[in-house]
Amino acid sequence: MTAAVSLRASVEPARPVIELRGLGRSFGTVEALREVSFAIPSGAFVAIMGPSGSGKTTLLNLLSCLDRPTAGEYLLDGIPTAGMSEAEQARIRRERIGLVFQQFHLIPYLTALENLMLAQHYHSVADAAAARAALERVGLGHRAGHRPSQLSGGEQQRVCIARALINEPSLILADEPTGNLDEANETVVMDLFRQLHREGRTIVLVTHNPAFGEVAERTIRLAHGRVESDR
Amino acid sequence: MFWRVLRQSFLEGRRRKVLAGVAVCLAATLGMALATLSVGVGDRMAQELRSYGANIRVVPKGESLSLGSLGLNPLKGRETLAEDDLPQIKDIFWRNNIIGLAPFLNAEVEVSGARVPLVGTWFRRDIELPDGDPFTVGVRTVAAHWAVAGAWPEADDEVLLGAALARRLGLGPGAAFDAGAAGRLRVAGVVETGGDEDAAIIADLALAQAVAGLPGRVHAVEVSALTVPENALSTRARHDADKLTTAEYDTWYCTAYVSAIAHQIEEAVVNASARPVWKVAAGEGAVIGKMQVLLAVVTLAAFASAAMGVSALMTATVVERAREIGLMKALGARLAEINGQFLAEAALIGAAGGLAGAGLGALLAQGIGRMVFGQGLAVPWIAVPLVTLAAVLVALAGAAMPARAIARLAPVEVLHGKR
Ligand SMILES: Nc1ncnc2c1ncn2[C@@H]1O[C@H](COP(=O)(O)OP(=O)(O)OP(=O)(O)O)[C@@H](O)[C@H]1O
Ligand SMILES: [Mg+2]
Repeated sequence: MTAAVSLRASVEPARPVIELRGLGRSFGTVEALREVSFAIPSGAFVAIMGPSGSGKTTLLNLLSCLDRPTAGEYLLDGIPTAGMSEAEQARIRRERIGLVFQQFHLIPYLTALENLMLAQHYHSVADAAAARAALERVGLGHRAGHRPSQLSGGEQQRVCIARALINEPSLILADEPTGNLDEANETVVMDLFRQLHREGRTIVLVTHNPAFGEVAERTIRLAHGRVESDR
Repeated sequence: MFWRVLRQSFLEGRRRKVLAGVAVCLAATLGMALATLSVGVGDRMAQELRSYGANIRVVPKGESLSLGSLGLNPLKGRETLAEDDLPQIKDIFWRNNIIGLAPFLNAEVEVSGARVPLVGTWFRRDIELPDGDPFTVGVRTVAAHWAVAGAWPEADDEVLLGAALARRLGLGPGAAFDAGAAGRLRVAGVVETGGDEDAAIIADLALAQAVAGLPGRVHAVEVSALTVPENALSTRARHDADKLTTAEYDTWYCTAYVSAIAHQIEEAVVNASARPVWKVAAGEGAVIGKMQVLLAVVTLAAFASAAMGVSALMTATVVERAREIGLMKALGARLAEINGQFLAEAALIGAAGGLAGAGLGALLAQGIGRMVFGQGLAVPWIAVPLVTLAAVLVALAGAAMPARAIARLAPVEVLHGKR
């Protein structure tokens, strides 16, 4: 399956990681998203911005297969996601997507290292050496044995980013990753994303932070659930 | 990794888990006590049946049977059986299953100014059967459980002293004492039976007959017989032999049920009433039986409330850890994996509570056994894993409902909370 995909990818290098066709999501009478269409090629760094309530989180939930659209189509790596069972969606999440949350969401009773290993375990097998290397990568090799409560917000977010990377996902999705951080940590985390981008990873990031808008190579603005601008 | 997560998460919220564990432990304690009592009492009866054979007590018709094993009741004894009829007992259809018998005659003598029961019997003697064959009879053939310190009596003036009486009189093997009408007696041994004999002098039958003025008579005969276990047919026959069909009656009569043998003894001996004797069956057995029913009910209730306790614990845990469960789902964990984690926690609580309960239950059963039998019961070790397994299953059943809540939980609802 993955072999077939990568083969196709090598034949058609322009195939997008994400392709949205008229995507919509309504909650009862509230239309959180409507007629959203865009494509994100491999290796892109896209910032999604917009006022509060414009549908950014709703969009990210759809992209991460945590939610289902009520209209339109979403293709991930060229595969339509409509009609997938919950188990298939879970498989997509563990194999292709790395998630970074505003509230970090680490498991409180596991150490930083164990939090990474849990994600590895869900994906395939836990590998302490690889997990440790990933922590080194975000500059936290020396805090591997610490629990989240013993880490600062910035450190927790770096663990969260390391976790999002650990299984080599084709797509990294982040919802306001610096929303709960002070300026110093914000810079550290932003640098980390910049670095990931340079390594050629595909990143879609929701942010209120104009600085991120500068870093990203493309900014999609939402307003009232529609794409307002895409540059 | 599974175990790592399990170990760490198990240490979370310990207080509630301890509570649920205690509920399971309580249920398991009762379950184990029940199992120990059930098996222990069965064992005890089987043991008695083995050591006594199935004893049958033959008394004159109209005598009450409910007194102690040798019927040492001074008010009794007006009616008697003929000593000469005893060989008839070995002449019934199941004669080959009769492996021993002993007559008993109750009398009283005065020792140091106090009235003391004197029981006459045969210790061991060879008699001639109606068909001319020899047969060894006597108390040594029916009372394997008599523990004698010293020697069995050989001479006519030698006796056994009941242990309690020996203590009271300060006599031991080799001593001699004056026993009123019985004359001077020598103590060959001291016997401990746990029954009325412990307070009596056990002497030769002829001596007791002379003292009581009842030559050639006996008050009771104890018969030891090899029998097959009772079943539905023999139980019915015992209660109402008249209601059996001819075929059933024949089957019963020609099977070595203790009731069939007793029936044949009644046919053989004039004026005799023969009844099987189970020491446990009568008194203690009934108490234990009631206790078993009570324990069974309480155990069921305890297991049900344990399941509810675990269910409440797991529900609270799922609510409390909704964020964590949502995260696991978002990371792409399989539902089975997440459920497995929580079920494993429940199973651990069940196993811990179950094991502890099995231990406590065995102790509880010992206590009950001591209270009822004056002696502990053998612990059926096989019940330990069974009770633990039951506890685990109950805990898992309790965790089943929360597992559904886990399946329904949507990650988006818990992960993007604005807090
Ligand atoms: N589960 C839901 N039920 C009903 N309405 C919802 C639900 N989730 C989102 N909405 C609505 O959809 C709209 C978009 O919400 P969304 O959370 O995507 O906004 P957002 O752009 O992420 O805002 P913020 O910047 O404040 O995070 C809002 O009007 C919100 O009230
Ligand atoms: Mg949002």
